[in-house]
Amino acid sequence: MAIGGVRAVAAQAPASIRARLSVLLDRDRVLGPLFVSPALFLLLLLVAYPFCMAMYFSVSNAFIGRPSHLVGFVNFINLWKSDAFRQTFQNAFVFTGAAVACKIVLGLSLALLLNEQLWWKRAIRGAVLLPWVIPTALSTLGWWWMFNSLYSVVNWTGIAMGLMDPPGPNWLGQKYYAMTAVVLVNIWRGLPFFAITILAGLVAIPKELYEAAHADGAGTVARFWYVTLPLLKPVLAIVVLFSTIFTFSEFNIVFVLTHGGPVNSTHLFATLARQIGLESGRIGEGAAISLYLFPVLALVVYAQLRFVRKEVY
Amino acid sequence: MEHVSRRRFLTTATGLAGILAAGVSPARGQQRQVSYLCWNNFAPASDKKLAEIGQRFAKDTGIKLKIDHIAAPQQAAKYASEVQTQAGHDVVEMRMHFPWLYEPQLVDVSDLVAEMEKKYGAVIPSARETANVKGVWRAVPQYHAFFVAAYREDLFKKASLKTPDTWEDLYAVGKELKKMGHPIGIPISQNYDSISTAGPVLWAFGGMEVDKDGKTVRINSPATEQMVEWYRKIYRDCMEPEVLSWTDASNNESLQQGKAGWIHNPVSAYIVARNNKLPTADGINHHKSLAGQNGQRHETDAPRHIGIWKFSKNIEPSKEWIRYLLGKREVYDEYIMSGDAFNLPVYANLQDHPVLKTDPKFAALKQEGVQFHCYGWPAPASDKVQLITNSFILPNMLAKAVTGTSTKEVVAWADGEMKKIIAE
Repeated sequence: MAIGGVRAVAAQAPASIRARLSVLLDRDRVLGPLFVSPALFLLLLLVAYPFCMAMYFSVSNAFIGRPSHLVGFVNFINLWKSDAFRQTFQNAFVFTGAAVACKIVLGLSLALLLNEQLWWKRAIRGAVLLPWVIPTALSTLGWWWMFNSLYSVVNWTGIAMGLMDPPGPNWLGQKYYAMTAVVLVNIWRGLPFFAITILAGLVAIPKELYEAAHADGAGTVARFWYVTLPLLKPVLAIVVLFSTIFTFSEFNIVFVLTHGGPVNSTHLFATLARQIGLESGRIGEGAAISLYLFPVLALVVYAQLRFVRKEVY
Repeated sequence: MEHVSRRRFLTTATGLAGILAAGVSPARGQQRQVSYLCWNNFAPASDKKLAEIGQRFAKDTGIKLKIDHIAAPQQAAKYASEVQTQAGHDVVEMRMHFPWLYEPQLVDVSDLVAEMEKKYGAVIPSARETANVKGVWRAVPQYHAFFVAAYREDLFKKASLKTPDTWEDLYAVGKELKKMGHPIGIPISQNYDSISTAGPVLWAFGGMEVDKDGKTVRINSPATEQMVEWYRKIYRDCMEPEVLSWTDASNNESLQQGKAGWIHNPVSAYIVARNNKLPTADGINHHKSLAGQNGQRHETDAPRHIGIWKFSKNIEPSKEWIRYLLGKREVYDEYIMSGDAFNLPVYANLQDHPVLKTDPKFAALKQEGVQFHCYGWPAPASDKVQLITNSFILPNMLAKAVTGTSTKEVVAWADGEMKKIIAE
């Protein structure tokens, strides 16, 4: 009897492990984290680790290939003494402010246009995405040729049309023109992201609301102001949030077009960080430049996400 | 599926574990190999020749050689990542002050340099300044490409202009050239060509950025003020505002495309025009470097070296490769000849190299009596001098001046910026 009982338990053992595993996997508390863990692992490896390293570097005197030690906030304090850094700080706000503001207005306009019944609607929507799809360095090289002092097609066209006096503006050699050029290219590049995302928001607005507003006598402007805009707010907030972060951390456009010049007037945090951190070996200072705005951006993210939650729920 | 016995499984698993733990592959069947990272040479034929020599090296020595190329602007980031991860190539090409920046990570190659000097004579000063770090050779000097005066000889003849001998002469000539629609092309922007001209002009006026001690900033001097004034007038009367936006390639393009009448650049501008059969090629020639008020002639030189990372597991094969490329006279000559006078030897006894006789327009490259130095001279190369260079303080000082800021103000600004870097 006893022997037979032992045999029965032994035979059931594998089945019971499978059963126990099955029960375990049925629990949300186990299955959820299990599904999330690969993504979490990747995030830790590719985001958290480099971020923590950057944090460490920024408070150290790290120099490529040499032993380093912690120096506190010395890098952050010293940077403020540098004329190039103060100029970069100012550039970052001017560049981001101008580019994001233009992208909001133009992106919204383009989305409204794309939402209309147009011929070749799908082809046009696809074409609008092109600037966003082409690798930035490649498309910026095209812009560089267009603004190049020797071959500028922009100036050539302007002069041919009688809109400019020869030789035309010195796009990349004069600080205001250079800033205009980099902002312009950033707008060109970022516009599809705004337009397509806002378009997705527009499509989701129920037609009944417009019909009701129309029945109440609301005109085009009133319908936009009281129906479209309020319902687009959460989408707009997310788009602006992402764009602000991407624009603040822009690198390719400035690096290819102006290299930060003339006289540092187009340097952004990323390009200056590269110049000091990689080309001159001062990783500590480079990391401090990259992270200078982190606290401010973190606050912006927090505030905007709170706003979005309030709007949605 | 083939049956795997328990014994065979255990043997294989233990072997693999051993290899993983040691981090070294088994010696049996292992081929010696070297990986070499270098830039995309501005003389592309030189890269082809390098690949050819590499194949012969592999055949002659049995050492497998892998050559990778990278664009110059990406070198710094790539080297930084290799050093930080202690992994990557065995041998790397070094430019500017790289041997000083990466000093603790580079193998002492004094033995190799001694062999080269015994064969070819002493290393030229600019290469010594940059590759010899505190008495230790951290890289083996490979070749150099220095700046010269490249001009449109046909235009000069047409207007009966004499080739300038001093920077002041250039101003007089430049006024005429601009009137002819062929301005002078000296970049005043955030690139290395701008510093490559600003340096020699500053030195020719008797000025310097930082003194020999590497600590005392000397930019705030009457010599600098004179140099700034010279730039102000040459920008106003002999150049066009486009120079404020130029990249390293813009002056070359301006000369090649028939706009600029005179530029300061290595011979690459002419070589490209000649090899691509551009209409301007026949009219381009070179003349001796210009003298300053003190009669001295200086030129910026950017020597290139070959270094070996300390983390390399193939240090000896790497040294064999360097010996093969630079230490064998016939191979080194072959390599230099492929560079079309853009890559010139860095050893004293090879200065009158046959490559200079391959084109009559290379005659001016002999440059007797001209002093060659890397950026920042006379300060010894260091990370701080490199940061002053990389921050483009010199060209930015000049850009501020030519766009309206007073000389005193811009010199004081440059002085302040340099002092901050030196003091850190």
